[in-house]
Amino acid sequence: MAETRTLGEFLVERGVSRRAFLKYSSYLATLMALPPSAAEAMAEGLAKARRQAVIWLSFQECTGCTESLTRAFSPTLEDLIFNFISLDYHHTLMAVSGEAAENARLQSMAENKGKYIVMADGSVPMKDGGVYSTIAGRTNLETLHETAKDAFAVISVGTCAAFGGLPHADPNPTGAVAIQDIVKDKPVINIPGCPPIPDVMTGTVAHILSFGKLPELDDLKRPKAFFGETIHDRCYRRPFYQRGLFAKSFDDEGARKGWCLYEVGCKGPVTYNACATLKWNGGVSFPIQSGHGCLGCSEPDFWDKGGFYRPLPTPLASVREHVTEAAAAGAVLGGAAAWLARSQQNAYKSETKKPEEA
Amino acid sequence: MDLLEVARGPALQVSLAIFVFGVTWRLLGLLLLPWRTDHSEPRGTAPSAIVAVLQANLRKMWPHKTFVRATVFQFVNGYVFHVGLAIVVFLFAPHILFIKSLFGVTWPALPSNLVYAVGAITLFSLIAGLLHRLTSPVLQLISRADDYISWLVTLLPVATGLLAIIQVGARYETLLALHILSICLFFIWFPFGKLMHAFTFFLSRGATGVRLKHRGAQI
Amino acid sequence: MGGTAMTTLLAQNLNSELADAVLREIPVLMQRLLDTGETGTIDLRSLPMTDWDRRQLATRLGEGEVKAFVTVGGTSTVIETQFAGVWWIRHEGADGRIAAEQVVVARAPEFLLAHPADIEAAQRRLSALLSGSAEAQFGEAGHG
Repeated sequence: MAETRTLGEFLVERGVSRRAFLKYSSYLATLMALPPSAAEAMAEGLAKARRQAVIWLSFQECTGCTESLTRAFSPTLEDLIFNFISLDYHHTLMAVSGEAAENARLQSMAENKGKYIVMADGSVPMKDGGVYSTIAGRTNLETLHETAKDAFAVISVGTCAAFGGLPHADPNPTGAVAIQDIVKDKPVINIPGCPPIPDVMTGTVAHILSFGKLPELDDLKRPKAFFGETIHDRCYRRPFYQRGLFAKSFDDEGARKGWCLYEVGCKGPVTYNACATLKWNGGVSFPIQSGHGCLGCSEPDFWDKGGFYRPLPTPLASVREHVTEAAAAGAVLGGAAAWLARSQQNAYKSETKKPEEA
Repeated sequence: MDLLEVARGPALQVSLAIFVFGVTWRLLGLLLLPWRTDHSEPRGTAPSAIVAVLQANLRKMWPHKTFVRATVFQFVNGYVFHVGLAIVVFLFAPHILFIKSLFGVTWPALPSNLVYAVGAITLFSLIAGLLHRLTSPVLQLISRADDYISWLVTLLPVATGLLAIIQVGARYETLLALHILSICLFFIWFPFGKLMHAFTFFLSRGATGVRLKHRGAQI
Repeated sequence: MGGTAMTTLLAQNLNSELADAVLREIPVLMQRLLDTGETGTIDLRSLPMTDWDRRQLATRLGEGEVKAFVTVGGTSTVIETQFAGVWWIRHEGADGRIAAEQVVVARAPEFLLAHPADIEAAQRRLSALLSGSAEAQFGEAGHG
């Protein structure tokens, strides 16, 4: 499966000129908030890129990330480029091919040693030797170790791979962990989201193809170009937040007027993702525009933050029992203090009472 | 667990418990003390105790004209601070949500932009109050650690709240966590220092009023 | 009118004066082009422009002599505005979605020019076509 043509040569054979790269790069530059002048450099980089071997591993996941990535409304430039990426192995898409598929993976690893990218979705269970997720008779942990060994980089796609996601949520019965908790000796990029926006996944891979290196990452290893701002900072409903106009419940007057969803649990202020600008389904809408608060799905442990409808400025857990106990304890102490004061006063009174008043 | 989770979780639980424990202890310890009975005859003009309590509290809302020059700054700045803080605490939408989660009651909020402005004014009045304390010879004589600590634990929520609004210095979730943690610190210190005046000022002014009115003295 | 429709309408009709700001930048870029030959690009989608701003800008810039349609991964439209050297490029994906929109100050936008590598490859193809036998010519007429 060795491919010696560059991406440019590959497209030329299909009758597509270098203009395609310039167009796609202009789009990417806008997407990733790069200056327009970067588009030409990106275009040159893409044209010279060699076929990039990608091995996609699916672990403890719901396949939503694969679904998101493969959602193409009509053939676009991204599809042209992604046909070029040699998706040598994909657990889910190739499930029917059994042993032959496994051999394809091993062959790709050998042929592209040190150069292939591993894209993984789903978390990795660790409990009881990792038996809670096995493929082709081997645990996810074994497969990940084996495949990541000679990889150039590992991209964790989706919140489950990036941070543990749903399997990791309390009580985490399978001992699920994130990819980055296992892969320590290779560069890891996290592209969280439940699922991530397709453009974010493809844009990140295109960035690697064009520039030959990983994009700038934040402290949670997410590409800053897509995860550098909160939903809140780009939300079109922000003016309502500023003016204090909130929907109090779903389908009330405020909700119908499109007011801010802060009071029904929106986690926009603490969630970093591109949903408010890129939106979903080809730029059609995103949760807030459709009337539901942000779940915070690109942040670690978003399932365990007290509930999707619990607003940000409220305590995560109930304080009632502790407060009742505390009040009881305080009452006891206060009563004891007063009793002590009273008995001291009585003792003083009886000591100083004159004999004839006794 | 990240900082915000700690702040919204165990930190709030513990600090609210300490607050309730401390306030209950101190208030009950105070209110269960024996009442001092004055066996002397009240002056003819002496009103009932309740009226005396209300009169005293009302009268002390503004200084006697003899003392206005000397104390006007403290009074005016005091009002600016207290009213400002009340507006910020009770009329800001996220704060109303917090109170609703504890007590189940809610009321309309002010436009958030307006509350930000009031918050800034409150911050300035807090700083002005400290400067006054530091430059007044009288206040310097009577100031103790309690005064400064109480001032600090009140300033921190206002300052961190404003920082969170303008998102300067760190990411929003860190600033929000620090704001909530500063409130926790406020709750923990409250029962053990001069912040208890929030509960006791009404009582002490009232007690003074009863005593003075009993003797027919002017409040 | 639904909440989303109302806020979208607001967004569409708000005049944020950004059209003016962008317009003022263009003569500066034109001067730079005249002095150094350097092209300038303003990425319209990276600015917080409302639809009203964009329409306003398009109206002020107007249309000139050149209009080009490029079919690659969807349609891209390149228009020279009424001001020579000031071009408006709109890139659409195959699904009709606007992928990028720019104002380019240049003698001609890079996007319209044929890339040397493409010319090289095309020359090879044409030469192969011409140097092939006569039958090959007749047989392959119509293939590009």
